[in-house]
Amino acid sequence: MNSILTHSIRFVLFVLVQAFILNQLEFAWGILIMAYPLFIFLLPREMNVIFSMIVAFAMGFAIDALSNTFGLHASSLVLFAYLKPAVLKRFASDEDYENKKEANLYTMGTTWFIYTFGILLFVHHLWFFLFEIANFGEIVYVLQKTTLSLIVSFLFSVGLQIIFVPKPKDR
Amino acid sequence: MKNLIAFLRRFRIFLLFVALQFVALTTYFSYLSFPRSQYLTTSNNVAGTMMTARNSFTKFLHQDETNRVLLNENKKLRDKLPENYIRKGSTEIVVNDSVYEQQYTYTPATVIQSTFDKRNNYLTINIGRAQGIKKGMGVFSDGGIVGQIFHVSEHFSLVKSVLSSDANVVVMIVEDGSFGFLKWETQNARLVNLTGISNDKPITKWGHVITRGGQMFPRGLEVGRVFTAKPIEGRAQWNIEILLGANFKKIQKVYVIKNLLKKEQENLESMIPKDPIVE
Repeated sequence: MNSILTHSIRFVLFVLVQAFILNQLEFAWGILIMAYPLFIFLLPREMNVIFSMIVAFAMGFAIDALSNTFGLHASSLVLFAYLKPAVLKRFASDEDYENKKEANLYTMGTTWFIYTFGILLFVHHLWFFLFEIANFGEIVYVLQKTTLSLIVSFLFSVGLQIIFVPKPKDR
Repeated sequence: MKNLIAFLRRFRIFLLFVALQFVALTTYFSYLSFPRSQYLTTSNNVAGTMMTARNSFTKFLHQDETNRVLLNENKKLRDKLPENYIRKGSTEIVVNDSVYEQQYTYTPATVIQSTFDKRNNYLTINIGRAQGIKKGMGVFSDGGIVGQIFHVSEHFSLVKSVLSSDANVVVMIVEDGSFGFLKWETQNARLVNLTGISNDKPITKWGHVITRGGQMFPRGLEVGRVFTAKPIEGRAQWNIEILLGANFKKIQKVYVIKNLLKKEQENLESMIPKDPIVE
């Protein structure tokens, strides 16, 4: 029960922060910080993929409605949710995977977090910018936006966890 | 039947994934060309109200700049007031307002949300259908043209800015009178491309670019200045970059331009027999 409430509050906060702050910051070179995939990443792992894809879809459309992207965030976030179990399975050792706690930076370790979240976030960003620009003549620009935004988004997500996720004492 | 159900169960995750992607991407691409409802745009009421609240905080940051711009514009307009002119030749007969008929009116509006570094950029403004705004009207700021009305709700409207891949505003260069289309192909919010001008005439740097007049904009609104002109290889055309007059990074106040004679012009132009004409 408690966990449902936590995640609902997180949902609202991530949507508001993304739509009203991060989407409004426009840096040079097309950098766009997208932090909301972290919400899907932090969903409990025993959660059904079907349900997490529906949550992703709802969250994406909420952000889209507030920033004139008409379904772009929804599409890339659904992809993120769809690939998440496969990527987690690939990089988790067996005993870790049995342990059904929330998978964050502290419970799973830094290397693991960099690989899994990094790969998922890369796919998410690439998908997003491919469809935003939708022109293969500008593939270099797509890659430039993806790479630069990926670095900033990743660091931002790590920062969010360092600030807001309580560090467990027993590890 | 049993097999079908087994198949659906087995691939339900993938099928749901495909279905959700289909919904999201069809919405995205259909909205890009024509928005069917306002719920997914910032011109809907909830988003509009939230954006207005946000703007009421951030507008103070731009107060100085906005004041300066409005003062300049007031000064320009005051200079044109009839009280400032002396009539020459008192023998002339004055006929009240039958020489000029007003074709364009301007409605002021505040920008409550805007972007400038996406592939297609939009602005949300705080007036809508209740103020007589309709799809396709031109939008202008004191620096230069901004875009056109893309979608309208009761109290807000969405403006598609010229920083979009299909802005297609007809503009002309004052110095030699040649005209072409605006297209945004650069990645810079200050520079737009001007296509369709043949390279048999030289183009001078810093030449003035204005609107050609017609549907959305009256003739002679400022667009910007010629920044660079390079010949396109293999075609007898210039690739011209224009430095925009409007600064999209700090746009605050805009005017929506209403063409009072639009219907008449459209009626007339609908008599042109159908053939592939650009525009």
